[in-house]
Amino acid sequence: MKLLIIEDEQALNASMVSYLQAGGYTCDTALNYHEGSRLLSDQHYTCVLIDLTLPGGNGLDLVRLIKKNSPDTGIIIISAKNALDDKITGLELGADDYLTKPFHLSELNARLRSVIRRRNFNGQKVIKIGNLEVFPESAEAHVKGQKLTLTKKEYDLLLYFVTNKNRVLTKDSIAEHLWGDHIENLDSLDFVYTHIKNLRRKLVEAGGEDPITTVYGMGYKFTF
Amino acid sequence: MRILTKTSLYYLLVSVIVFLLGGLSFYKILQTEIYDEVDDQLFTDKENIIEYIRRHNELPSVTSGISEAIIVRETSAGVGALEALSDTLIFSTYDEEYVPFRKLTFTTYQDGKPFEYTILKSLMDFEDLFESTMLAMAWIFVLLLVGLAGVNYFINKYNWRNFYDTLERAKRYSLTQRKPLLLKPTDTQEFQELNEVLQAMTGKIHNDYLNLKEFTENASHEIQTPLAIVSSKLELFMQSDNLTQAQAAMLEEMHASINRLSRLNRSLILLTRIENREFSENEVIPFHELLQEQLDQLHEMMLMHDIQVEIEAMEPVFVEMNIGLCEILISNLLLNAIRHNSTGGIIRISLKAEELCIRNSGEPLQEEPVTLFERFRSGNKLSGSMGIGLALVSKISELYLLTPSYTYEEGLHVLRLKFPKKNS
Repeated sequence: MKLLIIEDEQALNASMVSYLQAGGYTCDTALNYHEGSRLLSDQHYTCVLIDLTLPGGNGLDLVRLIKKNSPDTGIIIISAKNALDDKITGLELGADDYLTKPFHLSELNARLRSVIRRRNFNGQKVIKIGNLEVFPESAEAHVKGQKLTLTKKEYDLLLYFVTNKNRVLTKDSIAEHLWGDHIENLDSLDFVYTHIKNLRRKLVEAGGEDPITTVYGMGYKFTF
Repeated sequence: MRILTKTSLYYLLVSVIVFLLGGLSFYKILQTEIYDEVDDQLFTDKENIIEYIRRHNELPSVTSGISEAIIVRETSAGVGALEALSDTLIFSTYDEEYVPFRKLTFTTYQDGKPFEYTILKSLMDFEDLFESTMLAMAWIFVLLLVGLAGVNYFINKYNWRNFYDTLERAKRYSLTQRKPLLLKPTDTQEFQELNEVLQAMTGKIHNDYLNLKEFTENASHEIQTPLAIVSSKLELFMQSDNLTQAQAAMLEEMHASINRLSRLNRSLILLTRIENREFSENEVIPFHELLQEQLDQLHEMMLMHDIQVEIEAMEPVFVEMNIGLCEILISNLLLNAIRHNSTGGIIRISLKAEELCIRNSGEPLQEEPVTLFERFRSGNKLSGSMGIGLALVSKISELYLLTPSYTYEEGLHVLRLKFPKKNS
């Protein structure tokens, strides 16, 4: 799957490329509006990540351009502005999602996956990892063909892990993914711990191995 | 006391004193004049009587003078040649009261025999004249007083109107409005100076305020990108395989701090945007439904802390707000009630047409409740809050004319949010 990352901050651009490439994506990068529009007219991308404030033009114009030329390309807007108007305009223009800087790379990855899944109707309807199967359409998970009874949060957590498999996920990023901004500075880390404990227990009880490891205290990793 | 009332009162006070003194002097002068006049008449009568006796060598008939009464009495010799003026009261049977008289007593000789003459002159007429004059004067004084005070009041009022206009505008002036302070020009020099000083001052303050706001805004926005870079690099760093435990711990701490900074920055940007009135899209929102939604979302968190929620009232309330801000408002109030609660505590919620009231158990506050709604105030440093939640509540409330208040009652923290009165 081919991605285009249009972001003028070289360092941030490189981080995204590095994280996403490790996830199996091919990434093209553009550092300004013109590079972006040139690449967009030459190539076809599965999904494009666009920063709104670009040297040489407004990212929203690129969104319009993509919608016109290749409507099946997914679009995620990345902005430092967090302006509601931009968000609304962006989504109205046809962007699939909107992320505000700073964000967790794991969150970006999860959003990206979700956009691709939603857009790619013929694509993979089940994510298989060993004896674990996750069905995003019906929000179900099976172990050895047997359905797991998961709460909504536990399922979200599992999907987040699966999407970012083999990556260290920090407790903060998990908490933010599950509860959004609401969680702000509550002692959310305890919840994360509780949910992970429950998820692990359910996975093990269903006969699977415990795929979640604690990485030093930094966070958790779903390994296979 | 208003300056108009004050000047009018001073004016009245001075006028009354002046009029009293004036009246008193007038009374004295008039009295002296009247006595002089009466005495003159008495002496004229005396001269006439003596002249008559000298010419005719007999006593004059009583009616010949201008006096009211002349009493002649033989007197023993040796006492005579006396002349005395005095006041006396004589009972008048006609008026049935004592009437004031002026009396001149003198002695003269007829055929070598001394006779004592007493000439009496009624002061009644003079007294009447005196009284009517004083009354007329008093009326003139009173009318003059009232008239002058009134004129003075209206002139003052007219003169001060520009001042009151300036005062009213200055009162209504708010820094957060983007309009400069506009004052009516006036031809009174002092007021014009006052206006100029006020305008220059507010202009300067306004500029400083804008600069500061712009700085905060720019700083917050510019911080976002570097934060994003650091955060993403840290996340990549964490993926390295060969980290030692100590390194991992350091990375974790850095990551947590960056996260905290990001959230703080996000909240600050939100505050600024509320101040800038960037949330203009308002709609009528079912407040009770949003409250229920937020309660459901936070249900898990409350279970975790073993906090009991009691809903005392949940009346349908509709408010006109931006839905995003309304959510932030409610969730911050609820989070606040959870954060500053004790394990096994309670939260009582009552939503009525006039107010939302959230009570929660917890330790009493260490500091003044008024500071609660300010930024970076957190009652309890241990709770890890940055004290921005209630500042957000306060800002949003300000925007929508809601009135938040805090009290501590019967061991419970009580946060009330009064809804604005509907103009129906």
